[in-house]
Amino acid sequence: MKLLINTATAALLAIAGAGYATSAQAATICFAFQDLETEFWIAGHKAITTTLTEAGHTVIERNANEDANRQLEQVRDCVAQGVDGIIIIPQDGESAVTIVNEAQSADVPIAVFNRPPSDLSKGIIVVADNATIAEQATDFVVGQALESTSGDEKLNALIIVGDLGDPNAVGRKDGFYAAINKHEDRFNVIEVASEWDAATALANLEAAVTANPEIDMMFTSSDFLFPTIRSVLEPRGMWKKAGEEGHIPLAGLDGDATACQLIKDGFVSATGVQDLYFEADSAMTAILKAVEEGNAQPNEVIEDPGFALTSANLADREMDMWGCVLLSEGFLKN
Amino acid sequence: MKPSTDRAFDFAVRNATYLIFACVLLYFGLQSPGFLMPESLANIVKQASFIGIAALGMTFVLLTRGIDLSVGSVMFLAPLIAGFAMREYGLPVWLGFVVAVLAGVVLGGINALFVAWLRVIPFIVTLASLFLFRGFGTWLTSSTQFDFSEDMRSFGLSSVVGIPTPIVIFAIVALIAHIILAHTTFGRQIYAFGNDPEAARKSGINTQWLQARVYVICSVCAAISGFVLIAQIGRLDVAFGEGREFDVIAAAVLGGASLMGGVGSAFGAVVGATLIQTVKLGLVFTGVNLYLQPIMQGIIIFLAVFADGLREKRLLSRLKRTIRPLENA
Repeated sequence: MKLLINTATAALLAIAGAGYATSAQAATICFAFQDLETEFWIAGHKAITTTLTEAGHTVIERNANEDANRQLEQVRDCVAQGVDGIIIIPQDGESAVTIVNEAQSADVPIAVFNRPPSDLSKGIIVVADNATIAEQATDFVVGQALESTSGDEKLNALIIVGDLGDPNAVGRKDGFYAAINKHEDRFNVIEVASEWDAATALANLEAAVTANPEIDMMFTSSDFLFPTIRSVLEPRGMWKKAGEEGHIPLAGLDGDATACQLIKDGFVSATGVQDLYFEADSAMTAILKAVEEGNAQPNEVIEDPGFALTSANLADREMDMWGCVLLSEGFLKN
Repeated sequence: MKPSTDRAFDFAVRNATYLIFACVLLYFGLQSPGFLMPESLANIVKQASFIGIAALGMTFVLLTRGIDLSVGSVMFLAPLIAGFAMREYGLPVWLGFVVAVLAGVVLGGINALFVAWLRVIPFIVTLASLFLFRGFGTWLTSSTQFDFSEDMRSFGLSSVVGIPTPIVIFAIVALIAHIILAHTTFGRQIYAFGNDPEAARKSGINTQWLQARVYVICSVCAAISGFVLIAQIGRLDVAFGEGREFDVIAAAVLGGASLMGGVGSAFGAVVGATLIQTVKLGLVFTGVNLYLQPIMQGIIIFLAVFADGLREKRLLSRLKRTIRPLENA
């Protein structure tokens, strides 16, 4: 499976990486990530390390195991080793600010991948527009939910929220509400905390569905929770394909391989897609450019507009989603 | 204080955890009557089984003045090893369960080796094994999720005479733990060791062997706990079980186990785990704001621990008074 991920990643990045691989001098880049718990982070990690290495750069990898203090120490260690640049996936928005300041004080350019600091003014910040992407995905299932009812009765919309300390989770929640508020008088909202943990999501979702057996649409802040959602809905006869009696329009966000498979199967209607390869490419290009130009404090926000892959545009946009690319390479056949 | 008021206060502090439990049920029941329906109550116990089974094992360790910080990692690694065995050798789910238990024995044995025979402080040993076991599991999976077969999910979602399988397993583990602690020589030796390790050793108890068994039991319980929860989801993510050691310790302590050893029971662990889950799910059930939920959880758990502290203090003061025989005693 590792080979398949490598192959897919390398193939997709070959064109993107070629541009700067030849122009930039060989650099030593410290890549400090918080952990690799989901498909998104694994694919992002592969994209960055593979491309940099293949372009002749040296990558020093540091895994903080979800410990913000450890990540700060790891970045300090990288600075002490004299790296040319740093790319981080921070544990949270607050610790990211401290780490960016630490690197810039030491005159080492730093890029933050996907999880933005609470202060966007310093460092190269590559971030998905979580709110807009979530809104697009939610819009689609809101439309489906409204179409499935003939009267004006209020519908129940359930959102599984991520860790509220994570700016991405907050952005996704905001995007969900932006879509819901377009039809404010038509929806009751049920919020379920997941803390980005499958066991917590399982317990809380069971309670929420027991309290509110009539769910008309659902949005999960991350695709990795779809198996958990299935575990709760299936025994209650609520895990149905589109077109079957009792189908609940479901949407997620990330664009992973599981979501791709579930959209194809008809269980999931939409997922917000972060353009992983665009984000990885942007972070690498910007940091290598700063190294080459000798810019120690580059400050720039690079936004990934993303898009929503839905059951309606699946045929056209399937291969724009990183999860579908991995799926086509057999990622889920582990 | 009048004798009748005194007795009522005594009763309240002695049964503080249960009274808080009753108050919590009543409060959420009044807020949302559906909370007290059988389906909802069954859901609470089912979701409590995950932390509860591990808390039963943790109680054994706490009774011996020890601590096991590796339970979250064992919850992750043991089912993972079972999953690989099931996939590689086509084992049925029940054999996978046996493999998970055996993995728990081995992982607990590693802790036991260092704690019981090499005399390393349990906190340090299990902190090291926390990273060791999780690191090993992350290496095995290359950070990718592990999908179990449909049979595994069928097992997790199955029921025995209408009772969900996780609850049945929780009940069996709790019963076995209760029998061991309350009705066997080994159980009495655990309490004796927890109250005074040196006195226990001098009285002829093989304290090394006793400590070793306790850490193995704790890891086995964590392995069962992880297996039972993963069976419900069907997928194991690398972050699974992270930080759960704190929930497990909190459940055991809330159920009356003392971090100083010698005090605690299997029933208490069940109550502690169920109380925590009742609070968590009650907040979800009644739709409390997500930002307020952790604050409310913290307040209720703090109240329960405060009442427990009050009980301890009260009991100690009562003991002092009985140095002289009480009149009409």
